[in-house]
Amino acid sequence: MHSFNKSLTTRREMLTQSANGFGMLALSAMLAEEAKADVKINAPIQDPLAPKAPQFPAKAKRVIFLFMHGGPSQVDTFDYKPLLERDDGKPLPFNKPRVVSGQTGNLLKSPWSFKQHGQSGAWASELFPEIASHSDDICFIKSMYGSNSRHGGALLELHTGSDTFVRPSMGSWVTYGLGTENRNLPGFITVCPTLSHGAENNFSSAFLPAIYQGTPVGNAGTPSDKAKIPFITGETPTQLQRMEIDFFNRMNRERLQVTGPDNALEGRIDSFELAFRMQAAAPQLQDLSSETPATQKLYGLDDPATANYGRQCLMARRFAEAGVRFIQISHSYKWDQHGNLRKDHAKNAREVDRPIAGLLYDLKQRGLLEDTLVWWGGEFGRTPTAQGGDGRDHNPHGFTMWLAGGGIKPGISYGATDDYGYYSVENKVHFHDLHATILHQLGLDHEKLTYKHAGRNFRLTDVHGRVVREILA
Amino acid sequence: MLINTRLNQVNKLVSVLLTVFFLLTPVFAADKNTAGDKFFEEKVRPLLAEHCFSCHGPDKQKGGLKLDSKAAMIKGGDIGTAIVPGDPAASLMIKAVGYEGDLKMPPKGKLSAKQIADLSSWVKMGAPWPNTVAAEVKDAKSGSIVSGRDHWAFQPLRNPAPPEVKNKSWVRNPIDQFVLQKLEAKGLKPARPADKRTLVRRAYFDLLGMPPEPREVEAFLKDDSSDAFAKLVDKLLASSHYGERWGRHWLDVARYADSNGMDENLAYASAWRYRDWVIQAFNSDMPFDQFVRMQIAGDLLQPNNHDGLIATGFLMVGPKMLAEDDPVKMHMDIVDEQLDTISQAFMGLTMGCARCHDHKFDPIPTKEYYSLAGIMKSTRTMETYSVVAKWQERPLAGPVEVAQEKEHEELVKKAKQEIKKTEDKAFAEVVAKAKMEADSYLKAAQEKNKYREGLGKTRMKAGKQVEGALLIEAESFARGNVLKDVESYGKGIGVLVNAGQLPNFVEYDLDIPKDDNYSFEIRYAAAESRPVRISLDGKAKGEFAASVTGGWNPESQKWEAGFLAPFKKGKLIVRIDREGPFPHIDKFALLPLPKGQSLDAQVVSTAGLVPGFIDQWIAYIGKGGKIPEGEAFKQLVQSKDGPFARPRNIDLVLPPNVIATLKPLRDNLAKLEKDKPKLPTAMAVSEDKPQDIKIHIRGNHLTLGADAPRGFPSLITIAKVPKIEEKSSGRVQFADWITQPDNPLTPRVAVNRLWTWHFGDGLVRTPDNFGRLGDQPTHQDLLDWLAQSFLQQGWSVKAMHKLIMNSATYQMSTEPNAQAELIDSENRLFWHRQRQRLDAESFRDSLFIISDSLDRTAGGSLLGMENRKYVTSTGSRGFDGYNTKKRSVYLPVIRSSGYEPFQAFDFPDPSVTMGRRAVTNIPAQSLLLMNGKLVQEQTRKMAEYLMKQSGDESKKISMAYEILFSRNALPSEVQRAIEFLNLYQSAAQSEKVSKDESLIMAWQGLCRSLLSTNEFVFVE
Repeated sequence: MHSFNKSLTTRREMLTQSANGFGMLALSAMLAEEAKADVKINAPIQDPLAPKAPQFPAKAKRVIFLFMHGGPSQVDTFDYKPLLERDDGKPLPFNKPRVVSGQTGNLLKSPWSFKQHGQSGAWASELFPEIASHSDDICFIKSMYGSNSRHGGALLELHTGSDTFVRPSMGSWVTYGLGTENRNLPGFITVCPTLSHGAENNFSSAFLPAIYQGTPVGNAGTPSDKAKIPFITGETPTQLQRMEIDFFNRMNRERLQVTGPDNALEGRIDSFELAFRMQAAAPQLQDLSSETPATQKLYGLDDPATANYGRQCLMARRFAEAGVRFIQISHSYKWDQHGNLRKDHAKNAREVDRPIAGLLYDLKQRGLLEDTLVWWGGEFGRTPTAQGGDGRDHNPHGFTMWLAGGGIKPGISYGATDDYGYYSVENKVHFHDLHATILHQLGLDHEKLTYKHAGRNFRLTDVHGRVVREILA
Repeated sequence: MLINTRLNQVNKLVSVLLTVFFLLTPVFAADKNTAGDKFFEEKVRPLLAEHCFSCHGPDKQKGGLKLDSKAAMIKGGDIGTAIVPGDPAASLMIKAVGYEGDLKMPPKGKLSAKQIADLSSWVKMGAPWPNTVAAEVKDAKSGSIVSGRDHWAFQPLRNPAPPEVKNKSWVRNPIDQFVLQKLEAKGLKPARPADKRTLVRRAYFDLLGMPPEPREVEAFLKDDSSDAFAKLVDKLLASSHYGERWGRHWLDVARYADSNGMDENLAYASAWRYRDWVIQAFNSDMPFDQFVRMQIAGDLLQPNNHDGLIATGFLMVGPKMLAEDDPVKMHMDIVDEQLDTISQAFMGLTMGCARCHDHKFDPIPTKEYYSLAGIMKSTRTMETYSVVAKWQERPLAGPVEVAQEKEHEELVKKAKQEIKKTEDKAFAEVVAKAKMEADSYLKAAQEKNKYREGLGKTRMKAGKQVEGALLIEAESFARGNVLKDVESYGKGIGVLVNAGQLPNFVEYDLDIPKDDNYSFEIRYAAAESRPVRISLDGKAKGEFAASVTGGWNPESQKWEAGFLAPFKKGKLIVRIDREGPFPHIDKFALLPLPKGQSLDAQVVSTAGLVPGFIDQWIAYIGKGGKIPEGEAFKQLVQSKDGPFARPRNIDLVLPPNVIATLKPLRDNLAKLEKDKPKLPTAMAVSEDKPQDIKIHIRGNHLTLGADAPRGFPSLITIAKVPKIEEKSSGRVQFADWITQPDNPLTPRVAVNRLWTWHFGDGLVRTPDNFGRLGDQPTHQDLLDWLAQSFLQQGWSVKAMHKLIMNSATYQMSTEPNAQAELIDSENRLFWHRQRQRLDAESFRDSLFIISDSLDRTAGGSLLGMENRKYVTSTGSRGFDGYNTKKRSVYLPVIRSSGYEPFQAFDFPDPSVTMGRRAVTNIPAQSLLLMNGKLVQEQTRKMAEYLMKQSGDESKKISMAYEILFSRNALPSEVQRAIEFLNLYQSAAQSEKVSKDESLIMAWQGLCRSLLSTNEFVFVE
């Protein structure tokens, strides 16, 4: 019924025209700058999304979380265990946990060989050659642990700090604490998030005001080039849409004469103007065609295996540049190798290795890595013991995550698991501790960033959490 | 206003856009815990609980010593004081744990050096021990100790007389006296009354959640009688749409949803019965105390009434961690969720705080929390706790149906026994004979196996052609009851997936080109073992595809070799079936044997042997099973799980005549099972084993403290505290306790909720928290007077609506008042009517009303899913069952995959009690109006509806104004709309849109513009 739309001027064309010869990128940047300036000069302090000063000087302005859904294996990636190799096929010489999600057998050595990289001599397996080449920029935390051995519980704990109740997600806390830098864009964006294992609860604001909830761009079932913000595009041609807004906002303004001043009514007038700008700005940031071929190649857009996650990584950089505070890009539920470890871990690693390395390189060369905290990991690791002949079970008791940039000490490893990589034993870092540390880098004290709800002050870290000062630069 | 002093500040967010929010800064609060208290709670209390309390706690006091309070420690035991605060060296307890003298504690083994150091440090600190009797709490402001029970909300209801006021003529009922008295005290005047058009619109949206139709507006305007509005209210209260609106308010409180959310998002396919019961309860004006009692203990109060079971859905529909590997934790988390919801919903108490420690602000000690928790622990909510756990469903059946079901179960049991008897007997004979010929079986198997080598491996490989192969796509079946998936599990290849009907089956009609020996191979993906049975022309060839390929997705697809068989030229029916769901089958193939290889059957003599047993021997050898000699071989032959084991499909070893005898018996069983009477079920609780539980120290089920016998909190004084019988959970008594007439919280909280929903804000602005961190009431006398009226009216909710809506307070206009704005910018004194933004449901329902397409059918489920199925099954596709014209209250509420248009309009997170919705203006809301499909479709319909009407443009424009705004358009507005239509149409035409289409678009643009206005979206 609306096929005629094809012949109409698209929103983008019109913006390009109205921008009088500016290229798309220039326009996008202009919008971003304009929005930033807007906020600084005009925004009243009541604005819940206005940038807020951190509690103390921040090392990082934003976070990019590279989420490996499913649980990548620490002993096959960054946590090198010679004894595991030696004792392949033998029973684990100590007890398995009281609560497990599935049964496992004897020790299974990693099918991949490890070597040291860079000045720091960080160990990495051959699964991640490209990321490993950036080892000197990375801080590996090898003593992560959580409390829940199932995907759902672990995802919620990772994203919200609670595997028991619905709680605000980390990105929501961050936007609540710091606001957003760019009013044309949401402050918290999650690209291709999963629809299982807690789904929206992993980026929802729960009892925080809805304005702080994460804005999903597509979902795990959408290829990243098709991922969109809800309602960002419609069927009405832009110039007609503009006529409508002009028409009813005139009515709205006239009505204010009758009603007298009312914040809510005035707010809605601005809301439509903002939405009109946003529907142009957001898709532009997702349009990667303006990037040079070299950059596209850097992120692996030229290779079908890496293009999907590569686009997410490149989008993340563009969102970061535009002032989005918390960006999550998910490598959807792929890392759960109860079987087929050899084949599938290799395939998964290949899909993300080059894009992530490209992102690190690109952020660094643009000077963005300094104040961007890049965070890599899954909801848990995997057991050093085998499931079947070629698989590993979930393991929340000890696994590896890594951080880069954002004032984190580069080129170090922190903490350790036992000789076989099962339990975190040395300088243990719980999710709560990592949350506390990330908030700290953003200039927020996790014990003081609170929200009163149902009779008490809630925190991301509940009553736990310790800033891991040892890894701060 | 400083939001950080207030609970639930989300409630404070009144209609905002990005630039005009109320102050909302993150709260950087100081931690109220002293370091010492924290140290005690983290290090010392758990240690005492684990190592000391069992002998020196409330139950036992060995040596006369109790260690469960600081006072008791100082008092000491038979040999003197246990601790000297500040002086570890002088403390007997420290010496004892250090194993320094004769007294060595704990006797079972020395504590670790770290633990001893912790105890010592703690004594050195002065042995800080946080208050455990929370009847005394710190005053939030002054920090001084006050009695928590003195808090206003915990005091008995008073009986205040309506106060005297100056402007008596304004008063319509006592509510107005309370309101006016406060206004006059501040020198303020109430706003003028709203005009009739405004009132009728207000009443419709308030009571029904829908706009009035133009003729309804006209009817009200024509009624000049003095009680016209009272009559309108009566009429609306009698409408069945009333319950849909006000029932939905309650569903916010009850955190209602049609799916579990959390970690495993399973369908609550019978939750809707509870929702419909709530709607019906409001429509029938069920007394509120009964409404409360039914939701807590309906199953016990009305055991013979389905509604009794259904009402307890309130306890059931919360979110649960269904994949929690620790069942004890899962159970306590569910109990906690229930308690927290009950206490907030009915009494405005935040009980959950007391799970880990005594409530810091309200007089609720942890012990009293566990006394209530015992009641819920004695109540059965779950059928199983093993992952993925199952909540309880109870059949909705009378004694007759239950008896019928039982009888049917007996029949099934008997039929199964009879079959088993026949099978057992036949098998015993067959296997006994076979065992005598074990050597022959072994030999035959070894022979056959030799020929199979090389053939047992799959020959199908991606990209390789096998000459003469028949390749059949699984989704090309001729008959079947499974789905073809090409989007997720079958992305790019197409696979079969279970559609819900069991057993799964598919059949293919093949045409075999020539007589030949073929090997059968099948390609599938499976993350768990789901063997399928394959039959050729009705003859079973055995079970295949049993192994796990590593996942469900296309990348885990694998070929597996099946069986070898001679095929005849011509028609052949291939059937694949399975009792349970299929693996994800992609295709299968028939491959002619390579030259030089032939069918084993033709070269090995198997005369007189049972083929099924030969296969089991082959399988045994194939798995690398050793063939022992002598005695061990005999044992292998006799072994119950050896090659002569009873196969799962026993027909593989039974002689045909026995199978024929079995057939009628099996047919009979299949028929019986098919005819199983299907009883509808409700999510409902039942009584479980009555039990008292212990305090869980810091909320941890692994560190238990003193006993907490079931009972009720002491923060309010109730004359007759119900006594819990030992043999019952205590739920009936819990319901009694909440609804005792002298429980001051329940009626206060209830009338405040009603007031909140009528006015946008309550007399207490934190409707879910009446504790000391909640808001103070703005009109405490009015609140108590309303609560008393509520009790006098027999807890009638409709009576309260009439009382409230017929007040002058309710009927005020929204007119501004600069002076009042200065004195009371938040309208806490109700000096004018607060404008209300349409909520999500009213907005959507209005869209269907203006386009004249609302389906007004009440009740029923739209979920369209089997119970306990994943609502977002693939993890990559959200729930998309929102396509309906029914009222919004009937849309499924899917946790974690909410309906986007609703989310844009502040539909609350259905995981927590929400007595007052936030009203925000997130950008998604504007985008929804500009780009949303829902708006697009409904405005198109409205445009078409308007264009069909007779009359000229101005008449149609007037009509649009009447439909949307309940008023006539001004001439200037008509003029402007005409200009808009013309301009819009020519702009559309300039983009090569046909003339006809451009006209519809213009009208649609006008409709969308009008419903985007504040005048439509806000109710005055």
